Amino acid sequence: MNTASKDKTLASLADFHDEAPLVTGNLKFHDITELVSSHTEKKTPLAWYGAFSLALVGLMLLLIMIAYLFWNGTGVWGLNNPVGWGYAIVNFVFWVGIGHAGTLISAILFLFRQQWRTAINRSAEAMTIFAVICALVFPTIHVGRVWAIYWTLPLPNQMGMWPQFKSPLLWDVFAVSTYFTVSLVFWYVGLVPDIATLRDRATTKLRRMVTGVLAMGWTGANRHWRNYEKAYLLLAALATPLVLSVHSVVSFDFAVSVVPGWHTTIFPPYFVAGAIFSGFAMVVTLLVIARKIYGVENIITVDHLEKMNIVILLTGTMVGFAYITEFFVAWYSGVQYEQYAFTNRMFGPYAWAYWTMMSCNLFFPQFFWFKKLRRNITFMFIISIFVNIGMWFERFVITVTSLHRDYLPSSWDYYTPTFVDVLTFVGTFGLFFTFFLLFLRFLPIVAVSEVKGVMPEADPHFYDHEGDGHDAAHAVNVNAGQKQ
Amino acid sequence: MIELPVLDDSPETGESPRNRFWRSISHLKGTDEYSRISAGEFIPGASEGPIASDATSGATRRQFIQLMGASMAMAGLTACRKPVEKIIPFTRMPEDTIPGVPVQFATAMPFRGALRPVLVESYDGRPTKIEGNPEHADSHGATSIYEQASILALYDPDRLGSVRTDSDVSDWNAFKAFVAGLPTSSRIVVLAEPTSSMTMAVVRRQMEQRFSTVRWVDYSAATCNHSALGVQAAYGRAWRTTHDVSAANVILSLDADLFGANGSDPIGAARGFAEGRDMEATGSMSRLYVVESDYSLTGGMADNRLRMKSGEIASFAAAVASAVGAWSGDAGVHASHPWVAEVAADLRRAGSTALVVAGDNQPAGVHALAAAINDRLGAVGTTVSYLSLEDSANDFEADMQAALADMNAGDVDVVLTLGVNPVYDLPGFSDAYANATHRVHVSLYDDETAGSATWTVPQTHYLEAWGDGTSKSGVMSVVQPLIAPLYADAHSDIEVIGLFATGTEMFGYDMVRATWRQQLSGTFETSWRKVVHDGFLDGSGASTARTSLSSTGVNAAVSGLGLAAVSGTEIVISADTKVFDGRFANNAWLQELPEPTTKVVWENVAKMNPSTAERLGVGSKLDGGRYLTDTVEIEVGQYRVELPVWIQPGMADDSVHVTLGYGRNIVSEREERSTNIFDLDDYTDVYGKGAVSTGVGSNVAPLASEGRIVTGSISKKASGYLVASTQDHGAIDAEHVSEQVQKRGLFRMATVDEYRANPDFVAGGEPAPLKEDWEDYPTLWQANHPKESDVMTNSNYFENQWGMVIDLNTCTGCNACVMACQAENNIQVVGKSEVARGREMHWLRMDRYFVSGDGATLEDPQMVIQPMPCQHCENAPCEQVCPVAATVHSPDGTNQMIYNRCIGTRYCANNCPYKVRRFNFFNWTKTLPGTVHMAQNPNVTVRSRGVMEKCSFCIQRIRGANKVANVENRSLRDGEVVTACQQVCPANAITFGDLANPESSVSQKRTSDRRYELLAELNIKPRVSYLGRLRNPNPNLA
Repeated sequence: MNTASKDKTLASLADFHDEAPLVTGNLKFHDITELVSSHTEKKTPLAWYGAFSLALVGLMLLLIMIAYLFWNGTGVWGLNNPVGWGYAIVNFVFWVGIGHAGTLISAILFLFRQQWRTAINRSAEAMTIFAVICALVFPTIHVGRVWAIYWTLPLPNQMGMWPQFKSPLLWDVFAVSTYFTVSLVFWYVGLVPDIATLRDRATTKLRRMVTGVLAMGWTGANRHWRNYEKAYLLLAALATPLVLSVHSVVSFDFAVSVVPGWHTTIFPPYFVAGAIFSGFAMVVTLLVIARKIYGVENIITVDHLEKMNIVILLTGTMVGFAYITEFFVAWYSGVQYEQYAFTNRMFGPYAWAYWTMMSCNLFFPQFFWFKKLRRNITFMFIISIFVNIGMWFERFVITVTSLHRDYLPSSWDYYTPTFVDVLTFVGTFGLFFTFFLLFLRFLPIVAVSEVKGVMPEADPHFYDHEGDGHDAAHAVNVNAGQKQ
Repeated sequence: MIELPVLDDSPETGESPRNRFWRSISHLKGTDEYSRISAGEFIPGASEGPIASDATSGATRRQFIQLMGASMAMAGLTACRKPVEKIIPFTRMPEDTIPGVPVQFATAMPFRGALRPVLVESYDGRPTKIEGNPEHADSHGATSIYEQASILALYDPDRLGSVRTDSDVSDWNAFKAFVAGLPTSSRIVVLAEPTSSMTMAVVRRQMEQRFSTVRWVDYSAATCNHSALGVQAAYGRAWRTTHDVSAANVILSLDADLFGANGSDPIGAARGFAEGRDMEATGSMSRLYVVESDYSLTGGMADNRLRMKSGEIASFAAAVASAVGAWSGDAGVHASHPWVAEVAADLRRAGSTALVVAGDNQPAGVHALAAAINDRLGAVGTTVSYLSLEDSANDFEADMQAALADMNAGDVDVVLTLGVNPVYDLPGFSDAYANATHRVHVSLYDDETAGSATWTVPQTHYLEAWGDGTSKSGVMSVVQPLIAPLYADAHSDIEVIGLFATGTEMFGYDMVRATWRQQLSGTFETSWRKVVHDGFLDGSGASTARTSLSSTGVNAAVSGLGLAAVSGTEIVISADTKVFDGRFANNAWLQELPEPTTKVVWENVAKMNPSTAERLGVGSKLDGGRYLTDTVEIEVGQYRVELPVWIQPGMADDSVHVTLGYGRNIVSEREERSTNIFDLDDYTDVYGKGAVSTGVGSNVAPLASEGRIVTGSISKKASGYLVASTQDHGAIDAEHVSEQVQKRGLFRMATVDEYRANPDFVAGGEPAPLKEDWEDYPTLWQANHPKESDVMTNSNYFENQWGMVIDLNTCTGCNACVMACQAENNIQVVGKSEVARGREMHWLRMDRYFVSGDGATLEDPQMVIQPMPCQHCENAPCEQVCPVAATVHSPDGTNQMIYNRCIGTRYCANNCPYKVRRFNFFNWTKTLPGTVHMAQNPNVTVRSRGVMEKCSFCIQRIRGANKVANVENRSLRDGEVVTACQQVCPANAITFGDLANPESSVSQKRTSDRRYELLAELNIKPRVSYLGRLRNPNPNLA
């Protein structure tokens, strides 16, 4: 470490790697462990308590709104006769959509050997799971008789009465619950080596016990690693079709109906693209903040964020293309109801929602064509917020504008949400952030073992000209290269 | 007397061969002491036979049951107040009575001075549903909305329950003592509605004899007797006028809403009109001209409609009369109206088959002119008949002024208001009223007049008391009670007048029978029973009067008419089409019934056309699907009323219409419901905040103090008033909607000439992208349909395939079917704010569209109405999307809702192209008062919160008929199943039946070339077909 010629910096290794280094700041394995684990071990910062209290207030709000709903009935929402689905279904699709990014990053990018995923996959997966939990709230509470919701499950009963398998809502039940289960298992399996690290570092008894149970006896043995990687690969292969299927099935809720504006074959791919779009936007929103607060800017680098912004640009354009295709098909099909539904979207009573959606989803992401803008942290944060808003409005436009004016003009009406609708939606953010803050506090937000796996040091030949490969302990400033 | 066996365990003579159970030693030994005790152990009478000395000659079982059956039958006939002793509890079941199987009784509803014959369905002594009396010529089984809704009025929880003196609770005996103590020198004023009751006439005479001064005023503030006055002017006497619309080839309505429920004979008019429009059967169609200021249902049915201020219609009538030679003189402003010559020529061509009708609001002179025209054309005897019955033709205004003068002078001791409410609807009455010493008010409610009465006596509902009278056509009926008065103090009009007449209590039953002893020939009991059973006295219709027109009378009547142009804005006040003069205001069904043309509920509005609104600077806007309108202050004389504006296309310029019957102030004894902030029960319950009608709308009666058509000033008052309407929640742009209705082929119509040239015109109305022919898709009972599975075909029900045909050519949009459906199917009311949020529950709705284009302009559009029940699609989109199979297809082809199974995802409602499904957003039944529950049909499940509901094709009636047919081991006959909407329809516009039977009337109707299905191109195969409408406009009038 004394002379420049013998200095083995990452910069000097750049020649050997096609890509820019995924981890910056000259970090070693131990630094990574230290960086990530220390956040779960240190004293809880006051700011966390503040944020968590706020999230709990949101969660309480959600619980109160749900209690109010259960006590009085669906009428507390703004629904009416033509518009049977409103905020609840919009929010459901919105949250399920957000829940797409995590598994996509973990599974599909894993299969495609996109190594940059390692920095963000853990938090993205966590976000997925929490988003799906938020999503699952809505189909449960939106039914009129919530105490009979279990009838949607194929439970054997004395009447021999099964659910109706032709209904897309039933497919939803299976698709979303399967997706949730697989995502949860996938996330947990990925967590096992890191939890074992926490266990090994644990200083208190309670911590040792909890992490010890969760680590399931992980020792880092070769056999463990072999089984682990095989399991991870299989789960990735299992999760990959689910990423595509779950939102396709959600889109069937609409596409299978006869409602003009819903009855569209483009919905499955369009919904999947939209889901990835919104999911990535949410990941950007969360990580821009989390990496700053957690000081992991060397692990979750601007390069990572830029890659995500490219995905946002791509999927946003796909979604915009789908919007335009819908219009073309409405015109080309010659079906007047379809044509009316789409003209009504643009110029009818809900035109404001439509143009919000169009500008947020199609127009604003186009700024990401400029490299400078897509690497600008502030700018990408603003755009990601816009995309989140736009994608919520996309679901609103699809759900509400199609229903409010369908076939018979005599039943046309207008949907206005009530305070219960709005506060329930706000409350789900409380639920989401309650989970997310607990995750930030108690679990490693970056997949430590996987990040190590994509570092140059993981290359078996990295230490070849240093003899035994066991370098002398080096002193590295953990904060080196980071902005203070 | 038949002896009944003793129903006790008196000591047996022979020991049981088997084990014997005993209760005490003395029982076992059979001591005398035990016998004495055990004989008296049970309720008195139960242990002793009627003839105790001859215990061995007890009645046989057969005799016993005969007696019980006869008692029950008599209980049904005579079970009013007195014969209570004969009523036997249902624990001793009479023969032929099956609990849960309803029995129907014939009776009649008094309304507008005549009886409306009805059949009332009664479950175990509880009346639940009212139908028209099918054997009565005035009904043919049809009713208007009022008969349907009157069942709810019986169970109205806001009814007055006890006699009040001042505001203290008293009782009937105290009131009896008061009346008995009145000196015969008392000067009495009686205000009572004109009635056809013969018994009332008798007791009224007795009362007039008993007291020295009785001034009887026929109180017709709301029903206004302009028609009778007009006939009196023309013929010298106020013969009752009846119209045979079916015989008419050319009809001219002068501001007359023939089909509106507030008219005098909407049932007969709609039926007759439908017969005259049967193009397929007769090859020709009548022509209806309507000249009106409002846009009424009749205007919607018109072939040619002329918008004209109500105040100027007199001139138009005079011009037509002049043109047909029925009157001569200067017709005034419309003497040379382009329509006059055309209409007069058409009327002359029709000759004796012409019919001219004037509206209630028009002054007597116009009625006299109409009578003169009819007379001149020779229509008397064909389309117009004068019965030898005299309607009350007293000049109400003059009578009332005289009575008020007496009261003001202090010359009145007792004012008796019998079922009328003058404090509410007669401005200036209150002051005079206070001068009377005793103010006796007989009313269903603790209403406005009750507030200043000294005695208030609860009135019986017509289903609770005996009465009699004649129908519109003079057929005599007995009004038979179905149930003892819900409130013991309640008494009928004849009982109260009887009390005044004799000073002692008179029982309605005895009084009516006494009257009928004079009417019936043969054995009285036999004839009486037959009348009570049939609901009317067969062959008792009034004969035709011999009439001769008095042209001087007509001239005199016309000379009182204003024939000049009406300057400024006219204000027209009429009885409401829902709550009439306010007597039905406390009926939640009627309050929530959409007004037939505006679709407004729980409100009275100032209707005006767009240009009038623009001139007045008022308007309305849609805010989040809710109508927020400006309000106007209408000032007539010294009276001012504030009303919300409703902009109705097609009304006459500068004509503002308001309706009576709102702004009631009824005091309810029920406690106001108040719940904590977390609970919405008080919000969801229309009965939760005092009386239903209190606070709904505004009272416009004061405006009518100078007549029904007045002028006054109108000014804008406020903005942002919420008006709830069941239609146009989200579409205010009439032209836009009209264009969509046209493009989508929802309502198809053609003129008679177009129809003759192209009988298949409905096919031309099919929306553009119909790729395949409708007939290419086999229907359910044809081979290869996916629904022809074994499960379906092996069912007994598969034999019938139910379907419906709705004839748009005869449907007037009178709403009777909507009301009947509500009464039959336990459809709950949700209140104004929930309707404003688009959550009304009616299973059957009437879609009203305005049609512009094709000669009609936005200012003067056509109006069409389309009934919309569940279409029972064979490929029902709702069924496929339900995750729990809560809506499924029955083997007999109806789409069924399984309420128990429904979890309320609302997906089915979203996927219903007709949007006929209704969701229970709250629990609408939970908080209903107990008496309201009594009005519900026990055969129809009451829906819980969170479930979907919709039209079931009255499945309970289908299954009821199935049961009967099954017991009798036969197939269902055509016409055996009648849906509630079909049954009530006066125009027979609804045909329901078995599509699998090619002979059935519904199958026959489906062969019509006017038949089409709505949204057929979706391939959902609706089971409801519509028959396109035909119009017969005069080609010379655009």
